[in-house]
Amino acid sequence: MIKIVKRDQPSRAIFFFTPVLAIFLTLVAGGLIFFILGFKPFEALKFFFIVPIADKYGFSELLLKATPLCLIAIGLSFCFKSNNWNIGAEGQLTFGAIVSGGVALLFYEQEGFYILPIVILAGAIGGMLYASIPAILKTYFNTNEILVSLMLVYVSKLILDYLVVGPWSNPEGFNFPETRQFSDSAKLPLLFEGLRIHAGIFLALAAVVISWFVFYKTYLGFQMKVSGFSLKTAKYAGYKGKKMIILVFLISGACAGLAGVGEITGPIGQLHREISPDYGFTAIIVAFLGRLHPVGIIFASLVVAITYLGAETAQIFMQIPKYTGQVFQGMILFFLLASDYLLFFKIKFIGSKK
Amino acid sequence: MNTNLKISNVTKIYPGCVANDNVSLEFNSGKIYALLGENGAGKSTLVKILSGVIIPDEGKIYLNENNLNLNSPSDAKKNDIGMVFQHFNLFETLSVFENLIIDSDEQRESLREKIDLIMKKYNFSIDLDIPVLNLSAGQKQKVEIIRCLIRSPKVLIMDEPTSVLTEQETSELFLSLKKFSEEGILIIYITHKLKEVMQLCDEVAVMRRGKLVSVNEIKNENIESLANKMVGQNLKTIKKKKAKTSSDQLIKITNLNFTSEDPFETNLMDINFSVNRGECLGIAGISGNGQSELFQVLSGEIISEKKSIEFNNNYIGDLNPQERREYLMAFSPEDRLEQAAIPQMKIFENVALNNFKSSNFFNNGLINENKIKEHSKKIISDFNVNTDNIELKSQFLSGGNLQKLIIGRELITSPDLLICFNPTWGLDVGAINYIHETLIKINEQNKSIILISTDTDELLKLSDKISVIHKGKLSKIMNAEEVTSEKLGILMGGAN
Repeated sequence: MIKIVKRDQPSRAIFFFTPVLAIFLTLVAGGLIFFILGFKPFEALKFFFIVPIADKYGFSELLLKATPLCLIAIGLSFCFKSNNWNIGAEGQLTFGAIVSGGVALLFYEQEGFYILPIVILAGAIGGMLYASIPAILKTYFNTNEILVSLMLVYVSKLILDYLVVGPWSNPEGFNFPETRQFSDSAKLPLLFEGLRIHAGIFLALAAVVISWFVFYKTYLGFQMKVSGFSLKTAKYAGYKGKKMIILVFLISGACAGLAGVGEITGPIGQLHREISPDYGFTAIIVAFLGRLHPVGIIFASLVVAITYLGAETAQIFMQIPKYTGQVFQGMILFFLLASDYLLFFKIKFIGSKK
Repeated sequence: MNTNLKISNVTKIYPGCVANDNVSLEFNSGKIYALLGENGAGKSTLVKILSGVIIPDEGKIYLNENNLNLNSPSDAKKNDIGMVFQHFNLFETLSVFENLIIDSDEQRESLREKIDLIMKKYNFSIDLDIPVLNLSAGQKQKVEIIRCLIRSPKVLIMDEPTSVLTEQETSELFLSLKKFSEEGILIIYITHKLKEVMQLCDEVAVMRRGKLVSVNEIKNENIESLANKMVGQNLKTIKKKKAKTSSDQLIKITNLNFTSEDPFETNLMDINFSVNRGECLGIAGISGNGQSELFQVLSGEIISEKKSIEFNNNYIGDLNPQERREYLMAFSPEDRLEQAAIPQMKIFENVALNNFKSSNFFNNGLINENKIKEHSKKIISDFNVNTDNIELKSQFLSGGNLQKLIIGRELITSPDLLICFNPTWGLDVGAINYIHETLIKINEQNKSIILISTDTDELLKLSDKISVIHKGKLSKIMNAEEVTSEKLGILMGGAN
């Protein structure tokens, strides 16, 4: 007989085991879906998860895709840990990209070591500005940050659309919706000849280290933790709630903005319509799959990045629509939420009594 | 017809604790039974088993010799067992009638007739068409009782029903309960208040640590004998010595007002009082009359006009709690688990919630864990918190130990003023005694206390001066010797 029993306390091991379980269940369910669609499940899963990263190029692509996911998810974990629900990272990414792209265009055909830092900084500031809107509306007008940050995503995409089609479009670009190419000094350097992985990965790694330090070693991290558990307690302890809400939104916006910088100043080198395949939304899954822990987020971003790559390989080799990638992302979140049940309950197998 | 309810060998084990250890009890209608015990004694578990909320590991329940299978609250209802919980299960924004019709399968018309009949019979007067949020606590409880009576129950279980009632409402409730009992409803009354047991009940069952320790007729018991059975040891009675009257003013509140945007909060109107050094000012009142708002205004969770609060010759009305702590104020809020402490955090992390400059818990924005731990160990030993592991999550502390930790955390700065709100709510007698002793000690050290409490006995025991809060207004401040619980009850009900 199987019996479900409440746990006294969620154990730490279970806390990190459930994401692994979620990934395993996603693979099983994914295999099943492939089977129903008429593919050999193991072969399909191999195309999805192993083939894409089997070579040097594939591995570089994996890191390329994991970089923005990791960076954004780290930023989001500042918000989520302190009970602020910023789900508009995609918009902050887009706006960061717009601002940094605009600055990069100012330096069109100019070279200089000082250009790249300015472009990067501009992206971070752009993301912060955009994230400050839901933060200020929340603190001073009591609006719901989920709605505001989400709706602003679409606003930012329309602004980008307008700019690349209109005022910023390349004069010699035959009306393609894109800007001119940035000068080399405005681009993040590539790390290896012939591979697309670029220096943005160091921004992500720096964010991981800094966030770990802030979460576990600083007063700010402690205040975030307290606010995450109970806003009433935070108020009672005398923490400046408004200041903190704005601060975590700014951090989160800066990270998303930096991810935007990486997308446009990396391999592409220009602004165009579709700078991000919804990294800002997918990073929410990454943040929770990684348990809002910096190291967890590294692993989670790698796992989720594979779904992007796998979807492309599967489309090329097996004619499966690349949107299966999103199906996998959805399944990961679904199974993660479902297996979180195990945090609070355990399953007991009881031998039948004779 | 006689109703007989039998609990036979009921056992319920939780991880790490035996909530009910082979409990057998028998009840017969016509009598009012008290189930007495401290918090954690297992009476709530037993009652939840009777009402189908919890399924026991072992044991059986019989109603008139029929074995009941109580797998859910609706099974209990079907078997004519009615239950009024300590916390009301009512929708505040719906009308009384809407609340009553929700879990009833009767037609509107016939239900209304039935309710009218019940209200007439027991002399209840409640407007059925106003929203529940406009009712007093006593009226809300009546609504809950009506909800049970609609189903003409054989058994009615009342779980700590008087914790939100005034003296007058309590005696009304007792009259009703006696009437129900005369009509053949079997009444089981759960409480930890001894006085009520003596007043109301015919027979008393005492539980301690999951075990049934005594069943006896009330006429063979007295308050002391019951208290000793409940605690399992002889309790010393504590008494406050008359304070030396000092005229050295510590805190003065002048024309303090608070208007809330939240319709469920109470506005404070024109609050004026002062407290001298070494004094304890008690603030009585029925819960929900502005105590929580008053606490927040005093602690700085709600800031007010700078000059409305003068503390130690400084105006501090516009400071937040952390800034007020620097002026040597300390605060112990009512809600231990959701405000004063965070159960999921470790003991030493909870200690760091009271962060004051000289503590050095956080230097230059960095956590100084050694300092916090050192400090936590001191609190644990100074204030008798029953653990030696400061890495333990505080959810594993009993209510009493958690409250000792909180009070200890607040007092370790040796503040000039401690403001506490229901400091002993829900604690067992031993912990209550300890907290009371601690509070008396503070006054003896010439430090002051503002004690906001809904427990009149506690206020009369500890206060030098008493005022009553009603609908956000304070009554005039009285000397504690001149006050009786009857007088307080009248003021709490809003009369002058």
